[in-house]
Amino acid sequence: MTLDWLDAFLIAGLFEVAMIIGLALLLHLQLGLTRIANFGIVGFWGLGMYAFGVLYVRVDWPFGDPWQFLVCVTLATAITGLAGLVIGWLISDLDIDGVLVETLGFATIVLILATTEKDLTGGALGMGGLRFPFNIGTVKQNEFLWLLIVAIVVVAIFLYVRQVHRSPYGRLLIATGGNEALARSLGKSTYRTKLLLFAFTSALMGLLGALFGVMVRFLDINNLGVDLTLAVMVGLVLGGTARVWGAVIGVLLTVGLFDIIIQSYLPLPREWYTQAIPVLREAIFGATLILVLLFRPLGILGDMRRDKLMEKLHGK
Amino acid sequence: MANDVTVAAEVSRPQIHVRGAVKSFAGRVVVDVDELVLGERPIEGLIGPTGAGKTTLMRMVMHSIPLDLGTVSLRPPSGVEIVLSSQPTHRMAHYGVVKSNQVIMDFDKLTIWDSLLLSVTEASYEKPHRVFAERSVFREHVEQMRHYLDFFGFGDPTAFALSAGEKKLLDIIRCLLLRPSFLLLDEPTAGLPDDLTEKVMLVVRELAATGTSVIVVEHDLNVIWNLCEMVHFMAEGSVILRGDPESIRENRTVVEKYLGEGHV
Repeated sequence: MTLDWLDAFLIAGLFEVAMIIGLALLLHLQLGLTRIANFGIVGFWGLGMYAFGVLYVRVDWPFGDPWQFLVCVTLATAITGLAGLVIGWLISDLDIDGVLVETLGFATIVLILATTEKDLTGGALGMGGLRFPFNIGTVKQNEFLWLLIVAIVVVAIFLYVRQVHRSPYGRLLIATGGNEALARSLGKSTYRTKLLLFAFTSALMGLLGALFGVMVRFLDINNLGVDLTLAVMVGLVLGGTARVWGAVIGVLLTVGLFDIIIQSYLPLPREWYTQAIPVLREAIFGATLILVLLFRPLGILGDMRRDKLMEKLHGK
Repeated sequence: MANDVTVAAEVSRPQIHVRGAVKSFAGRVVVDVDELVLGERPIEGLIGPTGAGKTTLMRMVMHSIPLDLGTVSLRPPSGVEIVLSSQPTHRMAHYGVVKSNQVIMDFDKLTIWDSLLLSVTEASYEKPHRVFAERSVFREHVEQMRHYLDFFGFGDPTAFALSAGEKKLLDIIRCLLLRPSFLLLDEPTAGLPDDLTEKVMLVVRELAATGTSVIVVEHDLNVIWNLCEMVHFMAEGSVILRGDPESIRENRTVVEKYLGEGHV
């Protein structure tokens, strides 16, 4: 398999789209169903990535890949889950503004720690030494296989989230997000529900971060800016926060359209790529967010359709 | 029906004891109840002028607002006393203490089926790893849910509750599906047409006959006189009188403070 038809840029673009769809699906559970406005996505993702990198590179494991990879990725996911538990506990009683500020603060802490803990993370110079847990030939072939593996992970997240809508658990999340006091009076521990949800969705964000670390094989603190959070948020809000497909469609229309179609196939001047395009991307995403919130606050797909779903599941 | 209730009064039922319960908002004492036992009779009423503190007292019993002072405890017919006022709110339903809401409360995004299913589903099914549990939960409870939907004349349970009346009824059905042993109804018939008020009263009587203690807070006094065997009269934050409906409705203080001349 020579993969001549596929350029490296496209593999990287598709990887980014798949990963952001995964993050948007997790944000859909947090924000769309449970109304937890997590603006620190990049913090959890980045923590997963750096925890994985530090464990993989700095620790002298007595076994090699794939065990080294599996152990490190599991630990990184667990560490991010623990961070999610702590942040979830801190934000459990706050209103939406408080949650926003605190999660943003968490993402900033992750960025600062990654910058200052040079011995562990390499700081601003970045950190190399990561590699694929397999080797099937050329770099491109390895990257392509990794893209497929991550795509499978994202499809699994999609199928899970879709099933959550069809389960008592999903109903509990929607009730908790919709009217916490009423849910509590019906015997639901909304506090535990939110905490558990936040912890395990954060853990999965960390997992996606670790998988990204393997793809790029070089950890760079420039990845820890607000861009990623913005991309996930804009994608989900455009598609519709309350809908499973909202995450997919929204991200395809924003990150997919911009990073793959515009960047790869539009004849743009070369010198734009380093300076102008990233700025342009932020500007367009920001403008999209404003326009969607002004004219279609529920996104392209609109609100969730529980009436249709209930009819399908249980009949009239 | 009335006979059932009289017989059922012999059954021992759960009681709620309120001791020295004080609640003030911004320095103003809203509730100050020294000693109150609820649930000595199957169905008891709580009446009083607006602002007397009835709803606040009910919320204190449910621990949905914290007490400044005092305790509220549940005394089940058998077993040890449980101090409700030191328990988290969501535990009340586990102890069988359930309250319907005075103001309309609903889940905007949930359909009628959803609302009822939410109420009947046990916590063990509501876990992130049990995403395939929907059908078995539905099968287990469909009969019970259908019973109430048919009784109150709900058409399509896949729809959303739209009118205030529908939401009010849905709130009551959610409470009934929790199989309460101690049910507090805060103005259950406000905004309901007469035929539905009758139905609510019928359900409440049936429930009381099977051993549930019911407390009704109401401004529609016909409901109180028809339904209750004992009435508590509340004014200015305290329960100042209690007795059977006849004695309460003829009491001078009640007439002066609440009913007005000519009511009797």
